[in-house]
Amino acid sequence: MKTVISESTEEYKFVERLIPPSRVPTPPKHAGPAPSGWTPPADTPPPLPYMIRRSRMHNIPVYTDLTHGSRKTTLVRKVEGDIWALENDVKQYLKEVVGKELPTQVNEVTMTLKVKGHFDSELKQWLASKGF
Amino acid sequence: MFRCSVVLCGRGAAKRFASSFSSESALPPNLLLPSNLVDPARLRRGPPPRLAPPSPQQTLERLDAEPLGLTELHPDVFAVRPRLDILHQVETWQRNFKRVSHAHTKVRGEVRGGGKKPWNQKGTGRARHGSIRSPLWRGGGVANGPRGPTSYYYMLPMKVRVQGLKVALSSKMAQDYLYVVDSLELPSPDPQYLLDLIKHKHWGGSVLIVDVGEDFSENILRATANLKTVNIIPALGLNVHSMLKHEALVLTLSTVRFLEEKLLWHDERFMSLYPFALPYSDLP
Repeated sequence: MKTVISESTEEYKFVERLIPPSRVPTPPKHAGPAPSGWTPPADTPPPLPYMIRRSRMHNIPVYTDLTHGSRKTTLVRKVEGDIWALENDVKQYLKEVVGKELPTQVNEVTMTLKVKGHFDSELKQWLASKGF
Repeated sequence: MFRCSVVLCGRGAAKRFASSFSSESALPPNLLLPSNLVDPARLRRGPPPRLAPPSPQQTLERLDAEPLGLTELHPDVFAVRPRLDILHQVETWQRNFKRVSHAHTKVRGEVRGGGKKPWNQKGTGRARHGSIRSPLWRGGGVANGPRGPTSYYYMLPMKVRVQGLKVALSSKMAQDYLYVVDSLELPSPDPQYLLDLIKHKHWGGSVLIVDVGEDFSENILRATANLKTVNIIPALGLNVHSMLKHEALVLTLSTVRFLEEKLLWHDERFMSLYPFALPYSDLP
Protein backbone atom coordinates (compact mmCIF):
# COMPACT_ATOMS: atom_id res chain seq x y z
CA MET A 1 0.00 0.00 0.00
CA LYS A 2 1.54 3.32 -1.01
CA THR A 3 1.46 6.20 1.50
CA VAL A 4 0.23 9.46 -0.03
CA ILE A 5 1.65 12.73 1.24
CA SER A 6 -0.75 15.65 1.05
CA GLU A 7 -0.07 19.23 2.07
CA SER A 8 -2.69 21.20 3.92
CA THR A 9 -2.45 24.75 5.14
CA GLU A 10 -5.81 24.82 6.91
CA GLU A 11 -4.40 23.69 10.22
CA TYR A 12 -2.13 26.77 10.34
CA LYS A 13 -4.95 28.70 12.00
CA PHE A 14 -4.16 26.78 15.19
CA VAL A 15 -0.61 28.23 15.07
CA GLU A 16 -1.79 31.70 14.18
CA ARG A 17 -4.01 32.03 17.21
CA LEU A 18 -1.04 31.20 19.46
CA ILE A 19 1.16 34.00 18.11
CA PRO A 20 1.08 36.79 20.73
CA PRO A 21 0.07 40.38 19.99
CA SER A 22 2.70 43.10 20.14
CA ARG A 23 0.51 46.02 21.23
CA VAL A 24 -0.87 46.68 24.72
CA PRO A 25 -4.67 46.22 24.52
CA THR A 26 -7.04 48.97 25.65
CA PRO A 27 -8.54 48.08 29.06
CA PRO A 28 -12.22 47.05 29.22
CA LYS A 29 -14.78 49.63 30.31
CA HIS A 30 -15.24 49.83 34.09
CA ALA A 31 -17.89 51.86 35.87
CA GLY A 32 -15.64 53.62 38.36
CA PRO A 33 -12.56 51.95 39.88
CA ALA A 34 -11.71 48.34 39.00
CA PRO A 35 -11.47 45.68 41.77
CA SER A 36 -7.66 46.07 41.77
CA GLY A 37 -7.94 49.80 42.48
CA TRP A 38 -7.13 50.94 38.94
CA THR A 39 -9.11 53.97 37.80
CA PRO A 40 -9.54 54.74 34.11
CA PRO A 41 -8.60 58.26 32.93
CA ALA A 42 -11.43 60.76 32.46
CA ASP A 43 -13.00 60.92 29.00
CA THR A 44 -12.08 64.56 28.54
CA PRO A 45 -8.77 65.85 29.93
CA PRO A 46 -9.26 68.18 32.94
CA PRO A 47 -9.19 71.96 32.23
CA LEU A 48 -5.77 72.53 33.80
CA PRO A 49 -2.69 74.19 32.25
CA TYR A 50 -0.81 70.86 32.40
CA MET A 51 -1.51 67.30 31.28
CA ILE A 52 -0.11 64.01 32.58
CA ARG A 53 -0.35 61.16 30.12
CA ARG A 54 -0.83 57.57 31.13
CA SER A 55 2.00 55.07 30.69
CA ARG A 56 1.77 52.46 27.95
CA MET A 57 0.20 50.08 30.48
CA HIS A 58 -2.46 52.73 31.25
CA ASN A 59 -1.10 53.59 34.70
CA ILE A 60 -0.29 56.94 36.30
CA PRO A 61 3.42 57.74 35.71
CA VAL A 62 4.50 58.32 39.33
CA TYR A 63 7.55 56.31 40.42
CA THR A 64 9.67 56.09 43.57
CA ASP A 65 13.44 55.76 43.74
CA LEU A 66 15.86 54.85 46.51
CA THR A 67 19.52 55.80 46.02
CA HIS A 68 22.47 55.69 48.41
CA GLY A 69 20.43 53.41 50.67
CA SER A 70 18.44 56.23 52.25
CA ARG A 71 17.64 58.90 49.66
CA LYS A 72 13.96 58.72 48.77
CA THR A 73 12.59 60.54 45.71
CA THR A 74 9.26 60.45 43.90
CA LEU A 75 9.29 61.08 40.15
CA VAL A 76 6.34 62.31 38.06
CA ARG A 77 7.00 61.64 34.37
CA LYS A 78 5.17 62.36 31.08
CA VAL A 79 4.12 65.91 31.97
CA GLU A 80 2.99 68.23 29.20
CA GLY A 81 2.14 71.92 29.31
CA ASP A 82 2.91 74.27 32.21
CA ILE A 83 5.09 72.17 34.51
CA TRP A 84 5.57 75.01 36.99
CA ALA A 85 1.83 75.16 37.67
CA LEU A 86 1.95 71.42 38.39
CA GLU A 87 4.88 71.98 40.74
CA ASN A 88 2.90 74.62 42.65
CA ASP A 89 -0.14 72.38 42.92
CA VAL A 90 1.94 69.39 44.04
CA LYS A 91 3.75 71.48 46.66
CA GLN A 92 0.46 72.83 47.99
CA TYR A 93 -1.17 69.39 48.12
CA LEU A 94 1.81 67.76 49.82
CA LYS A 95 1.95 70.62 52.33
CA GLU A 96 -1.59 69.72 53.40
CA VAL A 97 -0.67 66.02 53.54
CA VAL A 98 2.68 66.27 55.32
CA GLY A 99 2.67 69.71 56.93
CA LYS A 100 5.93 71.15 55.57
CA GLU A 101 7.36 72.44 52.28
CA LEU A 102 9.09 69.64 50.40
CA PRO A 103 12.01 70.33 48.05
CA THR A 104 11.10 69.67 44.42
CA GLN A 105 13.09 69.65 41.19
CA VAL A 106 11.61 70.56 37.82
CA ASN A 107 13.41 69.32 34.69
CA GLU A 108 12.07 71.29 31.75
CA VAL A 109 14.05 69.36 29.16
CA THR A 110 12.61 65.96 30.08
CA MET A 111 9.40 67.44 31.56
CA THR A 112 9.66 65.56 34.85
CA LEU A 113 9.11 66.54 38.46
CA LYS A 114 11.06 65.09 41.40
CA VAL A 115 9.89 65.40 45.00
CA LYS A 116 11.93 64.48 48.06
CA GLY A 117 10.36 61.57 49.90
CA HIS A 118 8.11 58.64 48.95
CA PHE A 119 4.65 59.97 48.04
CA ASP A 120 3.69 57.72 45.16
CA SER A 121 0.35 56.46 46.56
CA GLU A 122 -0.77 59.95 47.63
CA LEU A 123 0.20 61.52 44.31
CA LYS A 124 -1.39 58.69 42.31
CA GLN A 125 -4.68 59.07 44.17
CA TRP A 126 -4.57 62.84 43.82
CA LEU A 127 -3.87 62.71 40.08
CA ALA A 128 -6.54 60.05 39.56
CA SER A 129 -9.08 62.20 41.41
CA LYS A 130 -8.18 65.10 39.11
CA GLY A 131 -9.01 62.92 36.12
CA PHE A 132 -5.56 62.30 34.60
CA MET B 1 4.94 67.31 -11.85
CA PHE B 2 5.76 68.24 -8.31
CA ARG B 3 2.54 69.21 -6.58
CA CYS B 4 2.74 70.42 -3.02
CA SER B 5 0.47 69.96 -0.06
CA VAL B 6 0.55 72.45 2.74
CA VAL B 7 1.24 70.82 6.08
CA LEU B 8 -0.82 71.31 9.20
CA CYS B 9 -0.42 69.68 12.59
CA GLY B 10 -3.64 68.13 13.83
CA ARG B 11 -5.06 67.81 17.32
CA GLY B 12 -4.04 71.10 18.86
CA ALA B 13 -0.35 70.62 18.36
CA ALA B 14 0.08 74.38 18.42
CA LYS B 15 -0.43 74.22 22.19
CA ARG B 16 2.54 71.88 22.46
CA PHE B 17 4.85 74.54 21.07
CA ALA B 18 3.99 76.81 24.01
CA SER B 19 6.94 77.00 26.37
CA SER B 20 6.55 76.75 30.10
CA PHE B 21 6.70 80.55 30.24
CA SER B 22 3.24 80.62 28.68
CA SER B 23 1.92 82.93 31.39
CA GLU B 24 4.46 85.68 30.52
CA SER B 25 4.76 87.00 27.00
CA ALA B 26 8.21 88.62 27.42
CA LEU B 27 11.45 86.65 27.35
CA PRO B 28 13.33 86.46 30.67
CA PRO B 29 15.81 89.34 31.10
CA ASN B 30 18.83 87.13 31.70
CA LEU B 31 18.41 85.16 28.44
CA LEU B 32 21.52 85.17 26.24
CA LEU B 33 20.85 84.38 22.58
CA PRO B 34 23.64 83.76 20.06
CA SER B 35 23.69 86.27 17.21
CA ASN B 36 23.76 83.56 14.51
CA LEU B 37 20.48 81.97 15.57
CA VAL B 38 18.67 82.70 12.29
CA ASP B 39 20.46 81.98 9.03
CA PRO B 40 20.64 85.36 7.14
CA ALA B 41 20.50 83.53 3.79
CA ARG B 42 17.10 82.20 4.78
CA LEU B 43 15.77 85.67 5.52
CA ARG B 44 16.94 86.86 2.11
CA ARG B 45 15.10 83.96 0.45
CA GLY B 46 11.69 85.26 1.30
CA PRO B 47 8.72 83.67 3.08
CA PRO B 48 7.82 80.05 2.37
CA PRO B 49 5.11 79.69 -0.31
CA ARG B 50 2.30 78.62 2.00
CA LEU B 51 2.30 81.98 3.77
CA ALA B 52 1.99 83.86 0.47
CA PRO B 53 -1.54 84.57 -0.85
CA PRO B 54 -2.83 81.80 -3.20
CA SER B 55 -1.59 82.34 -6.75
CA PRO B 56 -4.05 82.14 -9.66
CA GLN B 57 -4.55 78.82 -11.49
CA GLN B 58 -1.55 78.07 -13.70
CA THR B 59 -0.82 75.32 -16.20
CA LEU B 60 0.84 72.23 -14.73
CA GLU B 61 3.85 72.47 -17.01
CA ARG B 62 5.02 75.59 -15.26
CA LEU B 63 7.16 75.58 -12.13
CA ASP B 64 4.47 77.32 -10.05
CA ALA B 65 1.69 75.25 -8.62
CA GLU B 66 -0.63 76.14 -5.84
CA PRO B 67 -0.74 73.96 -2.73
CA LEU B 68 -3.08 71.01 -3.08
CA GLY B 69 -4.48 70.92 0.42
CA LEU B 70 -3.72 70.33 4.07
CA THR B 71 -2.05 67.23 5.50
CA GLU B 72 -2.85 66.14 9.02
CA LEU B 73 0.32 65.23 10.89
CA HIS B 74 0.28 63.31 14.17
CA PRO B 75 1.58 65.51 17.02
CA ASP B 76 3.34 62.59 18.73
CA VAL B 77 5.62 62.25 15.70
CA PHE B 78 5.88 65.77 14.31
CA ALA B 79 5.44 67.92 17.44
CA VAL B 80 7.46 66.28 20.20
CA ARG B 81 9.69 68.31 22.49
CA PRO B 82 12.97 69.40 20.83
CA ARG B 83 15.34 67.15 22.79
CA LEU B 84 18.76 68.21 21.56
CA ASP B 85 20.47 65.78 23.91
CA ILE B 86 18.68 62.83 22.28
CA LEU B 87 19.61 64.13 18.81
CA HIS B 88 23.25 64.38 19.91
CA GLN B 89 23.20 60.88 21.36
CA VAL B 90 21.68 59.34 18.25
CA GLU B 91 23.99 61.26 15.91
CA THR B 92 27.18 60.22 17.78
CA TRP B 93 25.90 56.65 17.95
CA GLN B 94 25.32 56.62 14.19
CA ARG B 95 28.85 57.80 13.60
CA ASN B 96 30.63 55.57 16.07
CA PHE B 97 28.83 52.26 16.22
CA LYS B 98 30.11 51.26 12.77
CA ARG B 99 33.66 52.37 13.55
CA VAL B 100 36.39 49.78 13.69
CA SER B 101 39.76 51.42 14.20
CA HIS B 102 42.57 49.30 12.70
CA ALA B 103 45.41 51.19 14.39
CA HIS B 104 47.84 48.58 15.75
CA THR B 105 51.36 48.84 17.18
CA LYS B 106 53.76 46.13 18.22
CA VAL B 107 54.59 45.63 21.89
CA ARG B 108 58.16 44.87 22.98
CA GLY B 109 57.43 41.15 22.87
CA GLU B 110 56.11 41.32 19.29
CA VAL B 111 58.98 43.30 17.78
CA ARG B 112 61.44 41.06 15.97
CA GLY B 113 64.52 40.31 18.06
CA GLY B 114 65.31 41.47 21.58
CA GLY B 115 65.50 38.16 23.45
CA LYS B 116 69.15 38.44 24.53
CA LYS B 117 70.54 40.78 27.13
CA PRO B 118 72.69 43.21 25.04
CA TRP B 119 75.58 43.50 27.53
CA ASN B 120 76.21 42.26 31.08
CA GLN B 121 74.51 43.94 33.95
CA LYS B 122 77.71 45.17 35.56
CA GLY B 123 81.21 45.94 34.34
CA THR B 124 80.57 47.96 31.17
CA GLY B 125 80.04 51.58 32.03
CA ARG B 126 76.74 51.68 30.10
CA ALA B 127 73.16 51.73 31.43
CA ARG B 128 71.63 48.41 32.31
CA HIS B 129 69.25 46.91 29.69
CA GLY B 130 67.53 43.60 29.27
CA SER B 131 66.49 43.71 25.63
CA ILE B 132 67.11 45.86 22.58
CA ARG B 133 63.39 46.15 21.88
CA SER B 134 62.18 47.73 25.10
CA PRO B 135 60.17 50.95 24.69
CA LEU B 136 63.17 53.03 25.77
CA TRP B 137 65.13 51.92 22.72
CA ARG B 138 64.97 53.25 19.18
CA GLY B 139 63.20 50.58 17.12
CA GLY B 140 61.67 49.10 20.25
CA GLY B 141 58.06 48.31 20.90
CA VAL B 142 55.42 50.88 21.87
CA ALA B 143 54.52 50.84 25.56
CA ASN B 144 50.84 51.93 25.60
CA GLY B 145 49.90 52.22 21.95
CA PRO B 146 46.69 51.24 20.14
CA ARG B 147 46.21 47.49 20.22
CA GLY B 148 44.69 45.81 17.26
CA PRO B 149 41.36 46.44 15.61
CA THR B 150 39.15 48.02 18.27
CA SER B 151 35.44 48.11 17.80
CA TYR B 152 33.39 51.05 19.02
CA TYR B 153 30.13 49.17 18.65
CA TYR B 154 27.31 49.89 21.08
CA MET B 155 23.56 50.06 20.70
CA LEU B 156 21.32 52.73 22.10
CA PRO B 157 17.96 51.42 23.32
CA MET B 158 15.41 51.07 20.51
CA LYS B 159 13.09 53.63 22.06
CA VAL B 160 15.87 56.24 22.24
CA ARG B 161 16.61 55.79 18.55
CA VAL B 162 12.91 56.04 17.73
CA GLN B 163 12.60 59.18 19.84
CA GLY B 164 15.60 60.60 17.97
CA LEU B 165 13.76 60.17 14.66
CA LYS B 166 10.65 61.80 16.10
CA VAL B 167 12.68 64.73 17.48
CA ALA B 168 14.43 65.22 14.15
CA LEU B 169 11.12 65.21 12.25
CA SER B 170 9.62 67.65 14.75
CA SER B 171 12.62 69.96 14.47
CA LYS B 172 12.30 70.00 10.68
CA MET B 173 8.59 70.73 11.07
CA ALA B 174 9.18 73.50 13.59
CA GLN B 175 11.84 75.19 11.47
CA ASP B 176 9.65 75.16 8.33
CA TYR B 177 12.02 72.78 6.57
CA LEU B 178 9.46 69.98 6.12
CA TYR B 179 7.49 69.74 2.86
CA VAL B 180 4.86 67.17 1.92
CA VAL B 181 4.40 66.24 -1.72
CA ASP B 182 1.83 63.83 -3.09
CA SER B 183 3.96 62.12 -5.72
CA LEU B 184 7.51 62.30 -7.05
CA GLU B 185 6.86 62.49 -10.78
CA LEU B 186 9.00 64.93 -12.70
CA PRO B 187 8.34 65.95 -16.31
CA SER B 188 12.02 65.60 -17.24
CA PRO B 189 15.13 63.81 -15.92
CA ASP B 190 17.12 67.03 -16.06
CA PRO B 191 18.93 67.80 -12.77
CA GLN B 192 18.83 71.50 -13.60
CA TYR B 193 15.03 71.41 -13.68
CA LEU B 194 15.02 69.98 -10.17
CA LEU B 195 17.45 72.62 -8.94
CA ASP B 196 15.36 75.39 -10.49
CA LEU B 197 12.21 73.96 -8.92
CA ILE B 198 13.85 73.87 -5.49
CA LYS B 199 15.19 77.40 -5.89
CA HIS B 200 11.84 78.72 -7.04
CA LYS B 201 10.01 77.14 -4.12
CA HIS B 202 12.65 78.35 -1.63
CA TRP B 203 13.02 74.89 -0.13
CA GLY B 204 16.64 75.26 0.99
CA GLY B 205 20.25 74.64 0.04
CA SER B 206 20.14 70.83 0.29
CA VAL B 207 17.08 68.61 0.02
CA LEU B 208 16.45 65.06 1.20
CA ILE B 209 13.58 63.36 -0.64
CA VAL B 210 11.98 60.35 1.03
CA ASP B 211 9.54 57.91 -0.57
CA VAL B 212 8.06 54.59 0.53
CA GLY B 213 8.85 51.45 -1.43
CA GLU B 214 11.69 50.28 -3.64
CA ASP B 215 10.50 51.55 -7.04
CA PHE B 216 11.04 55.19 -7.85
CA SER B 217 10.21 56.81 -11.18
CA GLU B 218 13.19 56.90 -13.50
CA ASN B 219 13.08 60.68 -13.96
CA ILE B 220 13.68 61.51 -10.32
CA LEU B 221 16.40 58.85 -10.05
CA ARG B 222 18.29 60.22 -13.01
CA ALA B 223 17.82 63.81 -11.85
CA THR B 224 19.22 63.16 -8.37
CA ALA B 225 21.92 60.68 -9.44
CA ASN B 226 24.69 63.19 -10.02
CA LEU B 227 23.51 65.95 -7.70
CA LYS B 228 25.41 66.32 -4.45
CA THR B 229 22.91 68.45 -2.55
CA VAL B 230 19.68 66.69 -3.53
CA ASN B 231 19.38 63.06 -2.47
CA ILE B 232 16.58 60.51 -2.52
CA ILE B 233 16.23 57.65 -0.03
CA PRO B 234 13.56 55.03 0.73
CA ALA B 235 11.55 55.55 3.92
CA LEU B 236 13.30 52.65 5.65
CA GLY B 237 16.60 54.51 5.24
CA LEU B 238 15.47 57.62 7.11
CA ASN B 239 18.02 58.49 9.82
CA VAL B 240 18.95 61.39 12.03
CA HIS B 241 22.34 62.03 10.41
CA SER B 242 20.83 62.45 6.93
CA MET B 243 18.10 64.69 8.28
CA LEU B 244 20.65 66.92 10.00
CA LYS B 245 22.95 66.94 6.98
CA HIS B 246 20.28 68.12 4.53
CA GLU B 247 18.49 71.38 5.04
CA ALA B 248 15.04 70.56 3.70
CA LEU B 249 13.11 67.30 4.01
CA VAL B 250 10.53 66.37 1.38
CA LEU B 251 8.16 63.51 2.22
CA THR B 252 5.40 62.01 0.13
CA LEU B 253 1.96 61.47 1.64
CA SER B 254 2.44 57.71 1.77
CA THR B 255 5.77 58.22 3.54
CA VAL B 256 4.08 60.34 6.18
CA ARG B 257 1.50 57.61 6.84
CA PHE B 258 4.19 54.91 6.87
CA LEU B 259 6.42 56.82 9.30
CA GLU B 260 3.51 57.63 11.60
CA GLU B 261 2.42 53.99 11.73
CA LYS B 262 5.90 52.68 12.43
CA LEU B 263 6.96 55.34 14.93
CA LEU B 264 3.71 55.42 16.90
CA TRP B 265 3.74 51.64 17.34
CA HIS B 266 6.68 52.02 19.74
CA ASP B 267 4.52 54.11 22.09
CA GLU B 268 2.05 51.32 22.71
CA ARG B 269 4.00 48.09 22.32
CA PHE B 270 4.92 45.45 24.88
CA MET B 271 8.52 44.55 25.69
CA SER B 272 9.67 42.00 23.15
CA LEU B 273 9.14 38.37 24.19
CA TYR B 274 11.35 37.31 21.30
CA PRO B 275 13.05 39.46 18.62
CA PHE B 276 10.64 41.54 16.57
CA ALA B 277 12.09 40.02 13.40
CA LEU B 278 10.07 36.86 14.21
CA PRO B 279 6.33 36.92 13.56
CA TYR B 280 3.90 38.66 15.90
CA SER B 281 0.22 38.87 15.16
CA ASP B 282 -0.04 42.67 14.75
CA LEU B 283 3.33 44.16 13.81
CA PRO B 284 3.02 47.45 11.88
